Amino acid sequence: MSGGRNGYILERTVVKGVNTATSVGRAASEGLPGEHRDRRRARAVDPGVAAVAAVVVAAALLRPFLERLLDRPAVAHWATVFVAIAVQAMPFLVLGVTISAAVAALVPAGFLPRVLPRRPALAVPVAAAAGAALPGCECGSVPIAGRLVARGVLPGAALAFLLSAPAINPVVLTATAVAFPGRPAVVLARLLASLLAATVVGLVWARTGRDELLERVRRRRGGDDGPALAVLVATAQRDLLQAGGFLVVGAATAATLQTAVPRSILDAVAGAGPLAFGAMAGLAVVMAICSEADAFVAASLTQFSLSARLAFMVVGPMVDVKLIALQAGTFGRGFALRFAPLTLAVALASSAVVGWWLL
Amino acid sequence: MTAAGGLISLLVGTVLLRLVLTGTYGRYVRLGMGPLLAVAGIAVIALGVVTLLRTLRHAHAPDAHDHHRHGGGDRVGWLLLAPIAALLLVAPPTLGSYGVGRGAKVDIRAGAGVLDPLVAGAEPTRMTLLEYGQRAFDRDGASFGGAAVQLTGFVAGAEEDGFRLARYQIACCAADAAPVVVRVVGSRRIPARDRWVTVTGVFRPGGDDVPELAATNVVEVPAPDDPYE
Repeated sequence: MSGGRNGYILERTVVKGVNTATSVGRAASEGLPGEHRDRRRARAVDPGVAAVAAVVVAAALLRPFLERLLDRPAVAHWATVFVAIAVQAMPFLVLGVTISAAVAALVPAGFLPRVLPRRPALAVPVAAAAGAALPGCECGSVPIAGRLVARGVLPGAALAFLLSAPAINPVVLTATAVAFPGRPAVVLARLLASLLAATVVGLVWARTGRDELLERVRRRRGGDDGPALAVLVATAQRDLLQAGGFLVVGAATAATLQTAVPRSILDAVAGAGPLAFGAMAGLAVVMAICSEADAFVAASLTQFSLSARLAFMVVGPMVDVKLIALQAGTFGRGFALRFAPLTLAVALASSAVVGWWLL
Repeated sequence: MTAAGGLISLLVGTVLLRLVLTGTYGRYVRLGMGPLLAVAGIAVIALGVVTLLRTLRHAHAPDAHDHHRHGGGDRVGWLLLAPIAALLLVAPPTLGSYGVGRGAKVDIRAGAGVLDPLVAGAEPTRMTLLEYGQRAFDRDGASFGGAAVQLTGFVAGAEEDGFRLARYQIACCAADAAPVVVRVVGSRRIPARDRWVTVTGVFRPGGDDVPELAATNVVEVPAPDDPYE
């Protein structure tokens, strides 16, 4: 957690350094004739590009080693499952990122806070339901919720939106329907349990939450400004890399679990009622899968009851290790330490109730 | 990491498109995903190209507030290079016998109704392992009527009088694969584990949990383009 904070501060320092360097560079280059300036630009190799090239070259050199690894059945199994989850999720990820970038670029920044009601009892459920209109991964909804709070939206409402958006948007629900063919009740249960959990957490925060923990994000200014196309490309690019990176972490974790954990352990836990709920929630927290892909993983864990798998899909988009890190980075550590346990408890209770009712 | 991000996107998109064009994607996901993967690949390539062009044009305008707002989160994007490297260099194989008996199993008895009887002809009837299992458990295999059938799958291990033939069912991708297993008996030759074979034979009653097939012919075949049922 403190690592995340340090990283944040470090980034700021680096960015400041870049700014300074750039203005110096610009001042120096203003005196140069155009052709000189162009040559200077062309010669400068971006360190990031060099790093990508280095990784690819290193992987190519390691090829014989990788091939020998794949001769071992367990490694081959791991690699196939890992790649399969990543490949399967990509079209959904791309769709989500595209729509979310279009919303970020085309919907005016002040629109959402202006149309939201003031009273918490109304604002929180409305904000939770509004989450359905903002497709995207949970990684994308954290900065958006931060911006909503910064623009003066009721924190409880912004947090309800933060929790519901990654869980109940059309892209995620479509993915869920694809993952559970012929079982529309799962989609409905996911929608209802997520809405319920987001609303309850938002209302609890509006009533008892310590908004002073959010001062840090309130003080922050700035947003997506500039031409729509620039915002679109920048947002899509950033979200794709961020969500894609976390997807890779999730795919690797899931593949490792499937390959390494003996089936008997999962089977033993799966049959144990409440324990299975806790195990699936714990799995969701640790695996940190993107909400657009988690239904496919849930579908594959066939040892568990549908209700336990519902808990996996309700908890996953709301609380997981990467989200806690993202929230601590955006809102502050004190906030994340209170918010995550509250959300986990409410999400578990909500999926237990809805699962018992619908599945 | 904007320029690097553009480059990573370009790589991701290229790999996706290559998977579709070579047909390799059938090892990982359902064949029906092909068009979706192609569209996603093209979109990601376009995104990468536009990002690269913009960074070239605005080489002196760092996206300061981007980094400012997202802290270290952007660095996680580098992890996308892991599956990219795996796919560019050594496309992992189709799931093999390692996973049979480890993950979930297809419940053959679920959903099998009363099946139409097979028509015994000159040619053996080709069918999936799932259909074979369903017919085997439907009135103890009465619908076979002694007709010859042909199954294609991989060898999942030798047994006393033959071997286990298996094939995975997938709903979406290899992560949710569940195997169907048929016991092949009466074959003199036992092919090596994980070899793909086409088995011709007739239904043999008496398999308890695993349906049995009395083989008349076993031929090794190359792994099919659609390895999952």
